[in-house]
Amino acid sequence: MKYPFIIPFLLLIPVIILQLVIIPFLSFNGISPDLILILLVFYTIRNNQIYGTILGFIFGAICDLSFGTILGSTMIAKTLSGFIAGYFSSENKRDSYLTPLNFSLILFLIGIIDNGIFSFFSSFDLSDNFISFLLTNTLLNSVYTAIISILVMTVIPKRRLFE
Amino acid sequence: MSKIFQHFWQNFKEYLVLVFLIIISLYLITLDFSDKTQKLRAMIFGTFSVVNSFLTDVFGSGNLKEENERLRSVNADLMLQLSKLRKDALLIDELKNSLSLKDTSKLNLISSRVISMFTNTSQETFTISSGKIDGVEIGMPVISEKGLVGVVFSVSENYAIVKTLRNNSLKLTIKSERTGEHGVLKWKSNSLRIINVPKTYQVKKGDRIVISELSSIVPVIVPVGVAYQTENVEPGIFNEIIVIPYVDFNKVEYVFVVPIVASKEVKNLELNFLKKFK
Repeated sequence: MKYPFIIPFLLLIPVIILQLVIIPFLSFNGISPDLILILLVFYTIRNNQIYGTILGFIFGAICDLSFGTILGSTMIAKTLSGFIAGYFSSENKRDSYLTPLNFSLILFLIGIIDNGIFSFFSSFDLSDNFISFLLTNTLLNSVYTAIISILVMTVIPKRRLFE
Repeated sequence: MSKIFQHFWQNFKEYLVLVFLIIISLYLITLDFSDKTQKLRAMIFGTFSVVNSFLTDVFGSGNLKEENERLRSVNADLMLQLSKLRKDALLIDELKNSLSLKDTSKLNLISSRVISMFTNTSQETFTISSGKIDGVEIGMPVISEKGLVGVVFSVSENYAIVKTLRNNSLKLTIKSERTGEHGVLKWKSNSLRIINVPKTYQVKKGDRIVISELSSIVPVIVPVGVAYQTENVEPGIFNEIIVIPYVDFNKVEYVFVVPIVASKEVKNLELNFLKKFK
């Protein structure tokens, strides 16, 4: 592909709008799916680790500026998420990783890291109960994102999407 | 030298890119409140807000919008008046020559609509449909007809981002209306809490919590919520009090920006004070 970042970037715009307008209706107590992470992991698995790291950085920057979160907090979280998702971009196993169930499991793992890092940089308080912090800020969000990703991956055509 | 670098790059390029980008991100955290960042943020969220506003109009209930807006404005005014009257009543009991308080009911509230929300367990923000053109400035408090919603954090020409009470970077000085005891309110562990409360405080379940007149962020007395439960976080001299906010943040559609910035008020007072002695 000649301009590998153009399509994910173009898709990011409607995804951010969905995240801001539609997702609040689906959230419970601030626990909501992260559509941007789904997009990031999907494109990272389809490409490679460096691509995912840079894409995560770009996505994070745009999210921080459009959501009003601390500048840099989402950037670090998404950069590391893209980097870790890159470990699942092996050409031999790519197709199996993009099946709905495997994809959701990958997303669950990366979601824990993404939410954990984001929460650490934006809200971690040493006086907080760590288990409660882990449960509320990372696990539940990751489970919700993983469930939504199953739906997304079932709906999206399997191969050659947006290429 | 270049061969060594090439070899290093070939073997560790993924890690080098990662480290480089993380260093940039960490550096950017320090620039969060700089003017350039605020301008860039205003430009980007302003662009998204145009589309969000349109979509909210499409999905929203269009017919009763204006009537609702007017009634909510009246409600918000009444809420402020009620809050002031409660405060006055308590003061009169204590002092016959009461202090002359600011008449918050005469403020020209800026009516606004919530066009999008960023829901998160610790960093919740709203985007509202008023901006610099309407007179909104950074630091202005945002209320609904029920109580305090948050504080304006970033402003573009037509839109503004509001940090809600469910954002842990917002800390407010509050007080119990009944006992007059002051404290610091913060979003923590997924609930609104008054932190570092001395165990000698007499705040009880059901006490009304309002913004304190000592607050340097919100310069008007606005109700925040009701004391719900006292928690002994750890053995020591401090407790935490969980507060249930009056505002249901999941259902807020219309809000009002109170056109006062706390720091400016203080500056004006200080200037007036100085003028008296010139």
